[in-house]
Amino acid sequence: MKNLISIQNIIKSFKNLKAVDNLSLEIKEGEIYGLLGSNGAGKSTTLNILLGFLTPDSGTALINGVDTTDNSDEARKQIGYIPENVSLYPYLTGVENLDYFCKLNDKNHSPEKLEGFLDKCGLDSEFHNMRTEMYSKGMRQKVGIAIALAKEASVYLLDEPASGLDPLASNELSALLRKLASNGAGILMASHDIFRIRETCNRIGIIKNGELLKEMDTSDVSTNELENIYIEFMKN
Amino acid sequence: MINIIINEWKNLIRDRLFFYSTIFFVLSLSLVVWMGILQQENQQQSQSDAQNHVRKQWENLEAMNPHRAAHYGSFAFKPLNILNAMDGGINDITGNVLQLEGHVQNEVIYSEASQALSISKFGKLKSSLILQYVIPLFLIILSYGSISKEKESQRIKLLILQGASIDKLVNAKSISIWIYGLFLLVVTVTIQSILGSTNPEIFKRLAFILLSYGLYYFIITSLSTYLSATLKDKTSALSSILAIWILWTIFLPKIWGNAVEKVHVLPDRKTFKEDMRAERNQGIDGHNPYDKRREELKNKYLAEYQVDSLLQLPINFDGIVMQADEEYGNLVWDKHFGSNYSIMQKQKSLYQFSGLLNPFASLQSASMGFCGTDMIHHLDFLKKAEDYRRVLIKALNDKHAYGGSKTGDWKWTVDSEFFKSVQGFTYETPRISNHLSRYLIDLLFLFCWALLIKVLIRVNAVKVNVL
Repeated sequence: MKNLISIQNIIKSFKNLKAVDNLSLEIKEGEIYGLLGSNGAGKSTTLNILLGFLTPDSGTALINGVDTTDNSDEARKQIGYIPENVSLYPYLTGVENLDYFCKLNDKNHSPEKLEGFLDKCGLDSEFHNMRTEMYSKGMRQKVGIAIALAKEASVYLLDEPASGLDPLASNELSALLRKLASNGAGILMASHDIFRIRETCNRIGIIKNGELLKEMDTSDVSTNELENIYIEFMKN
Repeated sequence: MINIIINEWKNLIRDRLFFYSTIFFVLSLSLVVWMGILQQENQQQSQSDAQNHVRKQWENLEAMNPHRAAHYGSFAFKPLNILNAMDGGINDITGNVLQLEGHVQNEVIYSEASQALSISKFGKLKSSLILQYVIPLFLIILSYGSISKEKESQRIKLLILQGASIDKLVNAKSISIWIYGLFLLVVTVTIQSILGSTNPEIFKRLAFILLSYGLYYFIITSLSTYLSATLKDKTSALSSILAIWILWTIFLPKIWGNAVEKVHVLPDRKTFKEDMRAERNQGIDGHNPYDKRREELKNKYLAEYQVDSLLQLPINFDGIVMQADEEYGNLVWDKHFGSNYSIMQKQKSLYQFSGLLNPFASLQSASMGFCGTDMIHHLDFLKKAEDYRRVLIKALNDKHAYGGSKTGDWKWTVDSEFFKSVQGFTYETPRISNHLSRYLIDLLFLFCWALLIKVLIRVNAVKVNVL
């Protein structure tokens, strides 16, 4: 299967701090990769390199074969991104926000289709046409997911996507991501939520001080085992 | 880009603060324009009444010697263009009535004594005050955070991921706010056109006013949005753009103005008058029968008419002497005032060059110029009024010389029919097409500034750190 995300020996430092240290990983079509680490472990730096917002000191990051440093615009076209805090335009409704972000991407979806995306992400239809200034964090997160979904990208990068979502919505998100993966998308999900990572991903990598310490298949570990492994790595 | 502009407008329109601010601006502008026009019409009416009164007095002068009438003189009134209600320029300081009399070239007098107190304390409330200071400040407030808030909320990452580039965002957001500035400008110009009497010439001037302010607003919104994108946060962007705005509107005009006065120095009033008087004394003294130059002129006329004495002349030699004296005085005035005129022109040109550093200076110059209230228009009025004074005094001197009286007959008089036959002074603000070349430099600097900021955005947008 084709590699959709490929990171080879990435090093990135900020002054004397090594944020990413010789990181390499590959994510294939249909794969959901969970990058598990505490705050400051290097998850967001890795995502920002993949998004083309940071240039690595050395190494390469490719999205579907496109270098994210040399050809960031082209690479970004293939990425659906869900940040930890989705900031929307407060005076626009959920549908209007989604429509605007889609139009930026040259996608003119019908109102029905836009509402369909929001439904798929679990946002109740009664909120679709309400201004997002009234939305909770979880509701904004759902619109963020809908924005990524409507882009119909081949690669999805998620930074703490379940942050602020209630358990039901988190569960729906996991199901949605699995569906996207089954349609051939490659997904990288950075989080410190062990349970959500275990529930959603096929493969997990534990990152600490920018270094990828361990990779494993989800099927090989239970949630408890994963938690123990994670705590052990964090303690050492 | 159009999607970003539409989105910005949707957000702006739904923002209550923006909505109420817009109502406030539209009402204030309407009120100020309306009051300005009322004030203008009152002023124009008073001026017209005074002008009619002066003319009536002139036409009903008791029978008198023409030379006495020359000393009695008349007045030239500077009609106030309707656009004076928009930008009073230097009119509030220079005044608008000139006394015209024989031997003397007066300065402008009567600069609105009724409003002197308020003008000296606050300046006049004209729409230019709102258009030049208040609206740009509001545009700054709208734009300084336009990109910073996208960065601070991290929404910019999502926007870029969806295909918007930084330069596209900066351009679209600055254009959205610029459109708002244009809207307020168009509201002002429309109200001005509806409430004030307009004609094709006024429309032409209004079009240039729109162009000048439009360019300036573009500069302000683009620069403010550019700083919002390139500086690290909203506070830095706001303090930088405010510092630039204060520099442009307060400090640079004063510094440059003082420098211009030092480079091209105008003589002080006392020196100017003394120099004029000294040179004037070298001419014919019309009232001194023993003056040497008068003797030479007398001999010339005696030879021309082939007579031996002034009493034998068929004309009144006194009128000839007065006109010769007048013409010499005119030469002296032309030389000294011409020199001042040239210095004032140089000062104006040098001041206009401050547009290189300060687009606000170009805006002010263009605004006054297109409203017909700047130094160039004022000098035009002074010149036309002086030309008329010369025609008037010559008509009186010619009547004195050739009207049928004899030399020395100071009791000879002309009646009011003659005074009625002398045309009064009429003045029309010159067409803008005649003076357009003077303001092209202001428009050029404004255009260059707009272009420079566009280039800055284009070049530096890629360097903007979105994290």
